[in-house]
Amino acid sequence: MKIKIVLYLSAIALLTTCKPDMKEFTPSAGQADFSKYISIGNSLTAGYADGDVYKSGQQYSYPNILAGQMKLVGGGNFNIPYMFDENGLGRKLILGYSTDCLGVTGLGPIPAGPGPNIAQNMQNIGAQGPYNNMGVPGLKSFHLGIPGYGTMNPYFGRFAKNPATSSVLGDAALIGHTFFTFFVGNNDVLLYAVNGGNEGPESITQMPVFQGSIDAAIGAMIANNAKGVIANIPDISDIPYFKTVPTMGLVLTEAQATQLNAGYAAYNAGAQQVNVPQIVFHAGPNAFVIQDTHSPYSLIGGLRQIKANELICLSVPQDSLKCKYWGSQKPIPAKYIMDESEITAVKSATTNFNAYLKSVAAENNLAFVDFNTYFKSFVSGLTFDGIKLSATFVTGGLFSLDGVHPNPRGQAVMANYFIDAINGKYGSSIPKVNISDYPGITFP
Amino acid sequence: MKKMTFLFFLFVGFGLNSSFAGGYQVTLHGQKQTGMGLVGTSITFDAGCLFFNPGGLGFVKDKISVSAGVSFIKSMVKFQKQEPSVYEAETDNPMGTPFYFYAAGKINDKLSVGLAVNTPYGNSLKWGNDWAGKFLIEDIKLKAIFVQPTVSYKINNMLSFGAGLVYAFGDVNINKAIPVSGAGNTDGQVNISGKASSFGYNLGLLCKPTEKLQIGIDYRSKIDMNVKDGDVTMTVPSSLSTNFPATNSVDATLPLPANLDFGASYQLNDKVLVGFSVNYVLWSIYDSLIFDFKNNTSALTDSHNPREYKNTIIYRIGGQYEANEKFAFRAGAYYDPTPTNKDYFNPETPSLNNIGLTCGFSYKPVKKLSVDVSFLYVIGNEREAYYTPDNFGGKFKSRFYIPGFGLTYSL
Repeated sequence: MKIKIVLYLSAIALLTTCKPDMKEFTPSAGQADFSKYISIGNSLTAGYADGDVYKSGQQYSYPNILAGQMKLVGGGNFNIPYMFDENGLGRKLILGYSTDCLGVTGLGPIPAGPGPNIAQNMQNIGAQGPYNNMGVPGLKSFHLGIPGYGTMNPYFGRFAKNPATSSVLGDAALIGHTFFTFFVGNNDVLLYAVNGGNEGPESITQMPVFQGSIDAAIGAMIANNAKGVIANIPDISDIPYFKTVPTMGLVLTEAQATQLNAGYAAYNAGAQQVNVPQIVFHAGPNAFVIQDTHSPYSLIGGLRQIKANELICLSVPQDSLKCKYWGSQKPIPAKYIMDESEITAVKSATTNFNAYLKSVAAENNLAFVDFNTYFKSFVSGLTFDGIKLSATFVTGGLFSLDGVHPNPRGQAVMANYFIDAINGKYGSSIPKVNISDYPGITFP
Repeated sequence: MKKMTFLFFLFVGFGLNSSFAGGYQVTLHGQKQTGMGLVGTSITFDAGCLFFNPGGLGFVKDKISVSAGVSFIKSMVKFQKQEPSVYEAETDNPMGTPFYFYAAGKINDKLSVGLAVNTPYGNSLKWGNDWAGKFLIEDIKLKAIFVQPTVSYKINNMLSFGAGLVYAFGDVNINKAIPVSGAGNTDGQVNISGKASSFGYNLGLLCKPTEKLQIGIDYRSKIDMNVKDGDVTMTVPSSLSTNFPATNSVDATLPLPANLDFGASYQLNDKVLVGFSVNYVLWSIYDSLIFDFKNNTSALTDSHNPREYKNTIIYRIGGQYEANEKFAFRAGAYYDPTPTNKDYFNPETPSLNNIGLTCGFSYKPVKKLSVDVSFLYVIGNEREAYYTPDNFGGKFKSRFYIPGFGLTYSL
C-alpha cells in the first residue's frame, strides 16, 4: 500500500509542473514606426540628476527607458552620448553628512567624491554619433537651431559632431528618425527662476522667440512624416527647489523677537511713512526678511518680510541663514528669492508656452504629455507599485538632490506618462515599466 | 496509533497555503470529506465530524474513532501586471501541509466526547524580493492551529447536538520591502512576526429524520487573533535608522471569520451516498488590517490597510461509492467565490473565485483501519484586481494540486 501511495504522490508531483497559463499581453506599434527614435530636450531629457550629468543618470533617463520599451514594438538601437564616468563635471551631489556653522551634523546633499575627471568627461565624442538622445542641459527653445551651439554650451560641445558648426537640430537630423519626443521650454522660464528672477543673469524667453523656435524645431521633426510627442512644462512652484525653504522659516524666542523688533524701529517708522507693512517679529516662526529694491521699499533700505506666496530658492546658503543673520538682521539677497511679480511673470510665460505647445501638437496631429498637470498632482503625492512619490525634497522620492531634476524613479514615472500619451494617440501598445524596478535617492 | 502521532508531530509547524480557499481559510479537515467536495456538515463517517459538525458525533457508529491526516498543497499564483505591461510574476510557494487529528469516543449511548486538532486557517505565499509588488508583500506565512475539546449529546435517534470549545493559537511572519534605497540600490526590508492565541466555539446539530437522510447545521464562531507586541525588524540605510527603528513592536488583529454551514446527505442505496452543503463564511469582519507600531516616527506611522472583504457562500456537492468492504471511492466539486474586494485585492492573499474538483478513496486492509487518500484540484479563475491604495494590480490566476493522506482507526 505504501508503494501505491508513493506512486500516487509522485504522479501528483508530476502534475504540479502544470502552471496556470494566461494570455500574454501583446505589444504593438499601432500606426507609428519606432525603429529610429530621437529625443529632443534639455537636462531632463539628458538624464541630468543630482546637479550634474553622469553615466547612470543618463542610463535612467526617460528617453532611454522609453527606447527600451520601444524595442518591444520594433524600436532600434538608442545611442546615448555617455559621460566617461559617474562623477560628471564636479557638481554632482550625494546624500551625506555635513556639519553646519552651529556644529550640528545632519544629513543632506553634499558634493560627491572623488573629484571628477573633467578632461575625460568633456572629451568630444561626436565621432561616435549620431546620437539618439539629444538632451542638452541648459538648452532653451531658441538654442535648438544655433550653429556652433557647442561652443556656448559645453554639455552640447562634448557630443556635437562639430562643436564649432553643429546645431542641436542639425545633429539630430543625422539619425533620420521615424519617431521623436520633444520636451523643450523648461529652461525658457526655469533658468530665470532658479537664479532668483530679475537679479540673475537669465531672462524669460519672449513669446515670439519661443513660438518661432518651436515652429522651426517641430517643422524639422515632422519632416519625412515622422510621428512624435510633445510634452509641456511643469509649474516651477511645484518643484522642490522652490518648495523646500519655508517663507516662515525664521524661528525666534521671545527675547530674540523683542531684540529684533527694537532693531527695526527706524525701519518701521519709515514703513509707516511710505505706507507699507512694518517688520514685526513674534516668538515662534516668522517670515524671513528679504531684499526688495523696488519702490517704495528702495526708500527704506530695500528690504521687507517675505510674503507667504513668494518662494525661496534651494540655493540659499543655509549657513548664512543659521549663523550670519540672513533673513533676520540682514535681508536674504533678492537673487535667492522669487518675489510676487517674478512668479507672476514665470507663471504667465509657462501658461503661454504650454498653450502654444499644445496647439502645435494639435495642429501637427502629434501626441501630447501634460506634465504641468501631472507634476501638480505630485504636490500631494501619487503612489505607484506601493511607492508613494511626492514633490517633497529628498523624502518625496521623486526628485534628485538638486531639487529640479527627477531621480531614476521620477524618470520612470515620466517615461510611463510618455507611453500613455503615445499609446493613446497612435493606437500602439507600448508596455509600461514597473516603477518599483527603479531606485530612488541613495541613503548612506 | 503510533504512526498517527508521528504524523501529527511531524507536520506541526509546517506552513499552509490557503489561496485555494476563500481568503486564508483552509478547509482540509478529513480525507474522506475532502474526497467528496468537502461536503461534511451532514456526514458522520468518523471523528472528522468534530470539526465539520460536532452534532454528528452522536451518530458515529464506532465506540472509539481516531483519525489523522495531512495534505500537501502545491500551489502557484500567476500575475500579469495591469496593461499595458509585459510584466509577469509567479509565486514560488513552499509546500503547505495542513493536518488534522481527531479522536472521539462514546461515554454512553447518548454522550460522546472528542478532541480535534487541526489547521483551519493559514497562508504561505512567496512572491520573492525582486518582484514588482515587493513593496506590498514579498512573502507571508500564517498559520493557526485549533484545539477543540468537544461534547456531543444524542437527544434521540433523530437528533444530536454537539459543542466544542476552540483554543486557537498561531503565528504570522511577513516580509516586505520598504521603498528607500541604500548603497547598491538595495531596498529597505521589514519583517513582522508575532504570535497570537484566542478562544472560540463550534456548535452543531445533526438531524436524521429517516434512516437514509441526514441534515446538519453547524456554526463556528469568529476568532480574533490578536498579535500583541509582535516583533518588527527593519533593515534600512543607517541614516534612516531613526525614521525606521531597527527593532520595534507591533499590535495587529487578524480576524478568523465565523462559518455557518448547512448540509444534507442521502443514502441512495447500500453503496451510494450523495450530499451537498452550503457554507456561509462571514468574511465581512475582515474590514482592514491595522498595524499599530509601538514606536512611531514621522516616517513610520500606524498603517491602516483596507481589505473590505465580503461574506461568501460556498456550494459543495459530493458522493461516495462503496464498492465492497475494502474499497470506497469518492468524488465531489465545489464553488468557492472570493471574499476579496477587487479594489483592495492585496497580493498577500490572492484569493480568487475557485472551482474545486475532488476525488478520493479509502482502503481497509483490516476492518478497524482505513487508509484514506484524497486529491483536490483547484482552479483559481483569472481575475483583474487591484490594491488601489498602492496603485498596484493586474490579472491573477492560480492552480492548486493537493494530494492528501490519512488514517482512520475505529473500534
